[in-house]
Amino acid sequence: MEAEAIRALLEQAFPHAAELDVEDRTGTGDHFQVTVASAEFDGVSLLDQHRKVNAALAAPLADGSIHELRIRTRTKGTE
Amino acid sequence: MSTLRDQISDVIEKEPVALFMKGTPEMVMCGNSYRALNALHAVGAPITTVDILPDPRIRQELSAISGWPTIPQVFVKGELIGGADITEELLESGDLQRRVDEAFGRERAQDVKVVALTVD
Repeated sequence: MEAEAIRALLEQAFPHAAELDVEDRTGTGDHFQVTVASAEFDGVSLLDQHRKVNAALAAPLADGSIHELRIRTRTKGTE
Repeated sequence: MSTLRDQISDVIEKEPVALFMKGTPEMVMCGNSYRALNALHAVGAPITTVDILPDPRIRQELSAISGWPTIPQVFVKGELIGGADITEELLESGDLQRRVDEAFGRERAQDVKVVALTVD
């Protein structure tokens, strides 16, 4: 799976993200590090922030196209 | 014999800290499971691990219960903390230490226990 395809799914789910980054960690199209910073995360627990990202990528997670997913989320106001 | 789902729920509800992982503490089969295990060790948590690798149904049932798609999964007192990324972030922020101290007190056993589930 291309990093761009992951990015497209995240852009759909987080259209107002301040920062959105997808890194193919191994170059093999199945180990990804994603970073999402969004005001949508303000006041949302870290667990629920990650749940939102997992939900956006539910399809490729379920069918095994993503073998490993590392998530970093940020509220918009923080570094 | 209780169903797989019941066995998983039992571990989540009854074990102080449950870590569902790939492999065992003796032989960790995945870098992310290793990260979560290390974070729990770092705060001196009692740890009960379940290896999800022996049967794909373990992971399916676990994710159905927790609503969390990936492995590892960490539970403290029955409550999902998250996967490796969250557990590490909470370690770095000190929240994991606070949470474990509050849940089990500072004078606590730090035993590591492995639970094998019975499948069929």
